[in-house]
Amino acid sequence: MKLLPERSELTRPYWDALHEGRLVAQECGDCGRVQHPPLPRCGSCHSAELSWRDLAGTGTIYSYTIVHHAAHQALADKVPYAVGLVELDEGPRVVADFVGDLDAVLVGARVEASFEPVTEEISLAHFVLAGPPPHDGGRAVAV
Amino acid sequence: MAEANPLRGRVSIAGYGETAFGKKLPGTAWDLAVEASLKAMQAAGVEPEEVDGIARFCSPLETVTTAAMVRGLGLRELSFFTECPLGGEALGAVLGQAASAILAGQASTVLVYRALSQSKGGRFGRADRGLSSTDDVVVPTEDNTAFAWPYGLVSPGNLFAMMVTRYMHEHHVTPDQMAHSLGSVTLAQRAYANNNPRAMMRDRPLTMDAYLDARMISWPLRLFDLCLENDGAVAFILTSSERAKRLDTDGQPIEILAATQSLAPYHEPFGIYTPDMTRLYPEAATERLYRNAGVTPERVKVAEMYDASSFMTVGSLESFGLVPRGEGWRHVAEKGIGLDSPLPTNTHGGHLSEAYIHGMNAVTEAMRQLRGVAANQVQGADVAIVGGASGTAVILGV
Repeated sequence: MKLLPERSELTRPYWDALHEGRLVAQECGDCGRVQHPPLPRCGSCHSAELSWRDLAGTGTIYSYTIVHHAAHQALADKVPYAVGLVELDEGPRVVADFVGDLDAVLVGARVEASFEPVTEEISLAHFVLAGPPPHDGGRAVAV
Repeated sequence: MAEANPLRGRVSIAGYGETAFGKKLPGTAWDLAVEASLKAMQAAGVEPEEVDGIARFCSPLETVTTAAMVRGLGLRELSFFTECPLGGEALGAVLGQAASAILAGQASTVLVYRALSQSKGGRFGRADRGLSSTDDVVVPTEDNTAFAWPYGLVSPGNLFAMMVTRYMHEHHVTPDQMAHSLGSVTLAQRAYANNNPRAMMRDRPLTMDAYLDARMISWPLRLFDLCLENDGAVAFILTSSERAKRLDTDGQPIEILAATQSLAPYHEPFGIYTPDMTRLYPEAATERLYRNAGVTPERVKVAEMYDASSFMTVGSLESFGLVPRGEGWRHVAEKGIGLDSPLPTNTHGGHLSEAYIHGMNAVTEAMRQLRGVAANQVQGADVAIVGGASGTAVILGV
């Protein structure tokens, strides 16, 4: 049992790109804002001139949680796992789960996207810790 | 000085009704809603045929429609009805819209109700409500859950946990310090509940060791950091303050000094993408609340905060300007929220330990405090704040 995203008219380009191993977001042709999740118009200047641009797939962890209790039966085999928000270098935040050592997941840690096909049509973007965690003032945010 | 907000003090809650609160109550949510509503009418001294308005709290899992209530209560005819969506965001909305309708002459006597039957209708804490299939689940795009669920961010508890993680980072709080802070909130609210005959946890004392040893749900949140799931209902009758004084009410009518709503981008249930995750709502919502009520935060004698998690008690005290930003964690641990603290908070036990009725059982507690009949009475309580989710709130007074 898997949790799979619906691909709507608005969001299909995002998921199609992920399946090709590219992370994309909407970019405003007028003011340059890069936004995620997708909107019908630019969230800043209301322009309809939106296109999809490739993102580097790199960013930092904005926040996260370590899930121990599966609140959905589809996640029963996944716990414990780390999931959170990545602030991409281009600006927008994306929800992501983190691959690797749970103890190394920290706010501010550098991460990069890694794509995994989960069905013949859909891929997900997991994030992998890239390099050592940043200096955190000596606070060990252990799990 | 600016002109007073026209709503201030001109509408009162004449009475409230409530059912028992429990894990598994007999009857449907409809039964519970009708029971609470009949009690509210009786307490307010009004007959069912006098009710000419309904404001429905219609967040997810609210199954009792306005039409069902009109039928179920045998009301004559409504001249006003409204439905307020989202989650705890509806708290200020239902009371504020009911009050506005009364001031505008659309109705004279408005019923507000919130009924929950999570034992029969699905649990808020579960993402797989009522699901039995082993097939894959296609998560709808709606509300951006399609971008979150496939990665395992599925429950409100997961999101609250992320708020705490970010809060610790921004305010340089260690996990141990945070655990003791949230434990202080949880224990204080449990102690209130232990003295509250209505509370589901009245017979269940809690120690810090038991709190810390409880299983981790979504780090950094443990079992007792998250609210109860239960059945129950509360209801209110609102009318003009002038008329309320003439009614044969069971208890003093309580004036609504302000009832506000707030909705900003991503400040919604499961909003995820708010620019600053540690800020529960825009500052403007707080300013509007006190301005409309004509009181300062210092005038508030008792606070009932929307606590779907223990952290929301801390975050709400900060966001509603009752504790300096970044100081909430220390405030609840050192000064506390008990009757001997500067601002007694969640005096019924809150959602953590009394029951979860989507913030509306905090309104009943505020009314008891202002009437001087609360189980954990704050002496001299004449102004109370009830904080909802995402900046919606009411300030009540006598």
